[in-house]
Amino acid sequence: MTTVRMRDLRKRFGATTALDGLDLDIGVGVTGLLGPNGAGKTTLLRCLATALAPDHGRIEAYGLDPADSRQRTALRRRLGYLPQSPGLYPNFSAAALLDYVAVLKEIVDPAVRRAEVRRVLEEVGLSDRANVKVRKLSGGMRQRLGVAQALLGGPDLIVLDEPTVGLDPEQRMLFRALISRLGETRTVLLSTHQTEDVGALCERVVVIRGGRAVFAGAPRALAQLADGQVWRSAGRPGGGAVYWRTAEGDYRTLGEQPPDGVAVPPSIEDGYLKLLGPAPAGTTR
Amino acid sequence: MAWHVDAELLQAYEDGSLTPSRVMAVDAHVQACAACRASVPAEAAWLDRTWLAVADTLVADRPSPVEWLLRRSGLPEHRARLIAATPALRLSYFAATAAVLAFAVAAAHTGQTGARVTLLLFLVLAPVLPVLAVATAFGPPADSMHEITSATPMAGPTLVLWRATAVVGPSMAMGVVAAAASPGPGWWAAAWLLPAFLLCAGTLALATVLPLPTAAALLGGVWVLVALAVSTSAPLVQGALFGPAAQFGYLLAAVVAVVVLTLRRRHLDPGESR
Repeated sequence: MTTVRMRDLRKRFGATTALDGLDLDIGVGVTGLLGPNGAGKTTLLRCLATALAPDHGRIEAYGLDPADSRQRTALRRRLGYLPQSPGLYPNFSAAALLDYVAVLKEIVDPAVRRAEVRRVLEEVGLSDRANVKVRKLSGGMRQRLGVAQALLGGPDLIVLDEPTVGLDPEQRMLFRALISRLGETRTVLLSTHQTEDVGALCERVVVIRGGRAVFAGAPRALAQLADGQVWRSAGRPGGGAVYWRTAEGDYRTLGEQPPDGVAVPPSIEDGYLKLLGPAPAGTTR
Repeated sequence: MAWHVDAELLQAYEDGSLTPSRVMAVDAHVQACAACRASVPAEAAWLDRTWLAVADTLVADRPSPVEWLLRRSGLPEHRARLIAATPALRLSYFAATAAVLAFAVAAAHTGQTGARVTLLLFLVLAPVLPVLAVATAFGPPADSMHEITSATPMAGPTLVLWRATAVVGPSMAMGVVAAAASPGPGWWAAAWLLPAFLLCAGTLALATVLPLPTAAALLGGVWVLVALAVSTSAPLVQGALFGPAAQFGYLLAAVVAVVVLTLRRRHLDPGESR
């Protein structure tokens, strides 16, 4: 079921075009947003999170239009947002910070607020850090606290800008479990540079380039864009391909078949690289 | 253990009819004796609620002095918490403001031939300090959590105006105290108030079109440049800057700024197009 519709979104910052007529539909479940730096991912998420107004175009989320001030407020009541730089107040304890955000989310009753703070701290595994100052938390813990504040009030629409930055492998696994649980009943849109996260978490992936959505579909469909173009070979490939030396000592090539190349199944990363155009001939990664 | 809580004593303990000393004796015993502890009926839900309340009390931060003051002044707890997080409501800001004003007052007292000029400089400076407070009350770069705040239902003109009021009040109060402590004619103590009100209202009105720091820098800068030029001119011109006619002009301009702010207040919402 489609819960968010975006049509012809445009946004410029001076001479820079961040969004250039972007169309996108997303629904309940986890949708991953991929794209190179400067592609417009953060601008898109900020517009959807009502932190920024687009110059042109229309957004409709859960039947609400954020261009209208009343509907924008109504949408904010159903929204959880983790920006790229959350800027959590360093002198607040984890619990006090969440309590403050809960007030911003109109949870006025102190008892309800405390229960909600306890709930989200438990969700992200920070119950034992409730009274620790933000400045004393590790980077991964701060990131989890950022996710926790987004979950306050049980939002229907969750917008997360690079939520896995700074998480170690164990934390990332916990995070994936949490997000996939949320995605069972809510609309989750997250941006990431980690194609592994997209493969593990997302039912749908959207690739943005130059302020436009250039791909929207299942992660497997993205990988299939590189079907028949990924090879392993013992010898170093020639020009016209992107390749790198693997841990086993052979070469993995995306592009033309090397002389002794054997076709291997493509990954999401292969499809992503293929979609975003040819890399310079003979480059390594 | 030789002694145990019998049924009659347990009933009295439950009913709350024991004397305090006997309650303490039973309390001490049931803590040490698992068998008697098991015989004391406990309502699990009540116990959970109680423990959570205890945990909340232990975890809860003490309110900051600002929040404590706001609550004492009658603001609801959640409103006080919201305002107390205002970046400009930090001790460092007030310390800096107090230091600037104290310096101006001290200079006015110690200056001999230049005392009048120093006082005029105070009048030039005082209206700008509340504008600085407004500029750091919300939004980037002063509020590091601005992006999160922007996506909450509280974002928008109500929050902005609450915070602006919360920071302008103490700034103005400090200015009044400093003005009263300065030498010079009595009207000087109040001469800067209307310019300050105009600059604050004007900054907020302009912030519906421009980013807040830009609006504050623009209006504050224009005021300082004009006022400095005038303050070094002849006394007649100085009177023109702070005299009755000028004050009436400030009042009219401030009313216009308030009207513009009221009409365009929704543009203070970061999600609103400008």
